[in-house]
Amino acid sequence: MNTSKKNTSYKEAITEIEEILKQLENNELDVDELSEKVKRVSQLVTLCKEKLHNTEQEIDKILKEMDTSYQ
Amino acid sequence: MINEQLKLSELNGRVKKAISETFTTPTWVIAEISELKMNRNGHCYLVLIEKETNGDAIVAQAKATIWSYTFRMLKPYFESTTGQPLTEGIKVLVSVSVEFHELYGYSLNIRDIDPTYTLGDMARRRKEIISRLQREGVADMNKELTLPLVPQKIAIISSETAAGYQDFIDQLIKNPAGYHFHIKLFPAIMQGNQAETSIIGALEQIYLYENFFDAVVIIRGGGSQADLSCFDNYNLAYFITQFPLPVITGIGHEKDDSIVDLVAHTRLKTPTAVAEFLISGITQFDIRLNELKNRFFQGTDELIKILKTDIEQLTRTVIPIIKEKIVSENSHLNKTIWKFDNRLKLFIQNQSYLLARTERSLKSEFKNFAQIQLRILERSTQALSVNLHRITLTNKELLKRKIQRSEKSVQNILSENLHYLELSKQKAILMDPAKVLARGYSITTYNGRALKDTDRLTINALIETKLYKGNLTSEVKTIHKEV
Repeated sequence: MNTSKKNTSYKEAITEIEEILKQLENNELDVDELSEKVKRVSQLVTLCKEKLHNTEQEIDKILKEMDTSYQ
Repeated sequence: MINEQLKLSELNGRVKKAISETFTTPTWVIAEISELKMNRNGHCYLVLIEKETNGDAIVAQAKATIWSYTFRMLKPYFESTTGQPLTEGIKVLVSVSVEFHELYGYSLNIRDIDPTYTLGDMARRRKEIISRLQREGVADMNKELTLPLVPQKIAIISSETAAGYQDFIDQLIKNPAGYHFHIKLFPAIMQGNQAETSIIGALEQIYLYENFFDAVVIIRGGGSQADLSCFDNYNLAYFITQFPLPVITGIGHEKDDSIVDLVAHTRLKTPTAVAEFLISGITQFDIRLNELKNRFFQGTDELIKILKTDIEQLTRTVIPIIKEKIVSENSHLNKTIWKFDNRLKLFIQNQSYLLARTERSLKSEFKNFAQIQLRILERSTQALSVNLHRITLTNKELLKRKIQRSEKSVQNILSENLHYLELSKQKAILMDPAKVLARGYSITTYNGRALKDTDRLTINALIETKLYKGNLTSEVKTIHKEV
């Protein structure tokens, strides 16, 4: 694990959404791309929401490992 | 050589006298409390020391007492004024009477205490630590770290049994938006002299998972408002400044910030405030996410509306053009149809004229033919009837002749037969047996039957002979057989 990777998925997701939004608001978004971008934004939002509200197996595993190593 | 010999009690008595003559009134003295114990009766026994100005070496020491009735007043007074317990490790300004007891020796009896000195001393020491950290250029290092966008993985340094800790956990877990925090407690002693090493130990453990956690929270709930001196600690503060994760404090005091608070990334007053801060951090991200999402979808809606309007406008401009084109094409078509129509009419007229002519010629042709046929038929009929008549006549003649001929031949046959019949009649008359007999012929019979040969006859057979007149019977004598 790398420090720069921490919280990346949130940051990357929001950066990508902002990028798409910027394209949209600057009229740089091709109409043909629109449905694909709508899909992508929905996907990113859903991903973030899930991470915000749900536990993750991988994380729980790491936390459990700490229990055994930290006395 | 020995001029005077004193008993120990006499000596101690003289010392006691000298001291009481020298220290007639209580004296104010500055000292650090090195030990502090209270016995069952509420009396307080202390050890006061003085250290080197720039070091830890003890240069003076004295036993001290605070009698219970004094201690009951001094302790709350001191603690409420300083926000600091009257305990080991602090510097105090106390009013003491110097005492000497023959048996127990030298001691100071504390009569009064001036908390403002301790306050000043603490402030001075804080200032010293702060200026040292600043001098070393580390004071703001933890503040310079970036708190992650979503502080969700939290390492907690606290005392597990502290009431504030459980409240903090409950608050995080039961946050109204239902955000999920990944939390881990690293227990530590949160007050007293052991706090420094215990908290540093916990930080060292967290350091092993530096890449996992988003932030460290140091919390200490409620309880004693005093005893914050452990957080005014240079070593602990220095450790925090060097820590790679943002440190958030909620140490739970309302007065001055501790040095740990000052160097922490974010300083909050209570564990509750820390929980709110973390939740609001995630909430802000969530709000931003929603806002971006809404802006994006509103933007796409608008874009679609604009595109729709564009299409409608385009439609409005294009349709008249198309209509015009249709009209022009239509008239052209009509012309063509009209032209074609005329030609067709003409053609049809021609054709029908031709047809009529053909019909007429056909009709007259047919008439002629029929007449010819009729005539032929008539002629044939005439010829036929003439022929028939002729044939009939001829046949009649033939028949007549045949009949005539037949009549003649029948007459001939009849007359011939009549003649024959006459002859036969005459012949029959000649042949009559009676006439035959009469001409001399006789008939011989045997056994009733006429004899024509001798075959049946035997010698002596009686035969009868009929004569024209009479009969006789004869006996056969001889037989001459004719071969």
